[in-house]
Amino acid sequence: MPSSPAVAVTDLSKTYHSGWIRQEHVQALDDVTLSVEPGTVFGLLGPNGAGKSTLVKILLGVVHASSGTAALFGTPSTNPAARRHIGFLPEDHHFPGFLSGERVLHIYGRMANVDAETRSARIPELLDRVGLAGRRASKVQSYSKGMMQRLGLAQALLGDPELLFLDEPTDGVDPVGRRDIRDLLVWLQEQGTTVFLNSHLLSEVEKVCDRIAILQDGAIVRQGSIHELTAVERVYDVVTTRIPPTVLENLGEALRPTEDGAPSDPSLSRYRVRADNRAALNAVLDRLRTANVEIESVRPLRQTLEDYFIDVVGGTSPPANGAPS
Amino acid sequence: MLPLLGIFDLTLRELWAKKVIMGLFLVSTLVLLFVSFALNLDVVEGSLASFRLFGSEAETDMTLEDLVFAVESVVAGAAYWLGVLLALFSAAPLFTTLLDEGHIDLLLSKPISRPQLLAGHVAGVWGAMLVLVTYLLGGVWLLMSVKSGVWNPRFLLAILLVVALFAVMYGVVVLLGAWTESTALSLITTYGLIFVSLALAGVKQITPQLSSTGAAVFWTAYHTLPNFAEVTQTVGNLATGDPVTDWYPFVSSLLFGAVCYALGAWIFARRDF
Repeated sequence: MPSSPAVAVTDLSKTYHSGWIRQEHVQALDDVTLSVEPGTVFGLLGPNGAGKSTLVKILLGVVHASSGTAALFGTPSTNPAARRHIGFLPEDHHFPGFLSGERVLHIYGRMANVDAETRSARIPELLDRVGLAGRRASKVQSYSKGMMQRLGLAQALLGDPELLFLDEPTDGVDPVGRRDIRDLLVWLQEQGTTVFLNSHLLSEVEKVCDRIAILQDGAIVRQGSIHELTAVERVYDVVTTRIPPTVLENLGEALRPTEDGAPSDPSLSRYRVRADNRAALNAVLDRLRTANVEIESVRPLRQTLEDYFIDVVGGTSPPANGAPS
Repeated sequence: MLPLLGIFDLTLRELWAKKVIMGLFLVSTLVLLFVSFALNLDVVEGSLASFRLFGSEAETDMTLEDLVFAVESVVAGAAYWLGVLLALFSAAPLFTTLLDEGHIDLLLSKPISRPQLLAGHVAGVWGAMLVLVTYLLGGVWLLMSVKSGVWNPRFLLAILLVVALFAVMYGVVVLLGAWTESTALSLITTYGLIFVSLALAGVKQITPQLSSTGAAVFWTAYHTLPNFAEVTQTVGNLATGDPVTDWYPFVSSLLFGAVCYALGAWIFARRDF
């Protein structure tokens, strides 16, 4: 396993200039710094126009950075050698329509430096894995959007990449196909492949990613593990038998009933416990036990990634612990 | 090397998928069939006794050598003008398609530098043109030489000239395509330069009629722009076996093409996609 980060970006900025007489400048990235360790599935999130595609394109040498550095496994991204072990599935990619799916893989595989012997062995296997084995000889122009996406994914995987960039990989894919792609990502992670995922489907990102970064207006506003970021600070979900009103009254703001997801057992109720530290949480639980309340479960409360994302880009969520903003 | 071969292969296949290129191959095949079967020469002791077109005897005062050179010269001229214009028409969209979002991203994500990517594409286009011109001119040369016994190896140089001038004009497509991504503008400018070269070919007759400023502008244009039309004379000389007295129009055109490719490569390397 390479010792350098799979992706290392330091103080990266990009300003687009347009117009001849009245020049316009658009700051797409502003001092972005992030690192992705090998073997992780990393999700890059952000609203439209946040700079996600620009960041990926700089990493792949498609766009030039205005300042800062970007490296893949320690090699500057401006060096074509950095892309030797990279797979990429761009958003809205298109292959020449007159080629068959199999021929596309041979040509793009050759461009990825995959020798003929390896291609002959891997192409049938990959076409089978992405569900296109039966259409391998069909011209690409007859493929549906979902099939094109599957072919693009096969193309990205052909060089057995150590780092895979996927830009909206499930775009246009039906729910079954989406699940297949998700399973594939999990399998890739098990194989030690680093995945850099750019997706709007937050539920999917939540299922497959270890770490995420949220980009807004060209700057990283949050990054960290999903576990850290979606944890609601010091709020716990507690399920117990009915708590006597006097105990509830005594505990005041520290414990409140909630209507969220009533337990199936009618003898149980759900509460939210707000405790500044572990001792405070235990004090609340001790008070309940003293009142002969039976405790079914205690769990730290989490948001969904979608709720968290909306809070962040809407400006209502404070930076989480340990998460650079 | 593999990535370079990959883009070369892709370009050849893209060109082959164009109907105009298929059409040019078909027309070339018809020309070769015509020379093979419709044009019959009766050669007696190295001289032309008679020749028949589609079985009918045609009268001529031409010597055997003149007839061979005439046929070769007509085919070379047609390949130079019609062939190059049509090949440019079919190849020009390829370069702007290469730059399409979703396509260029994929290509640049491969372990290949931008100059290599451009070189692979250009080599593919030149290669296709070389095959096409060799098929037509080489075929006609071989058939006529075998039929008549008149071998004019200098005619084969015309193949290189036709491909070279196509390459020069494709340089304009690369430069403007890299700069503007517009197929229409690239083609209009390229055809415009070919049209202008018709006037430039008359430089010695036209400049004496102009004022000193006008003559200076005309001479500057003559020395800096491609002399596509004037090179027709060089191609003709090679076809007829006459000596080429002036290579300047060809060399200056090559220099123009080299500048176009250099500028095109510079823009292509600096651009964001």
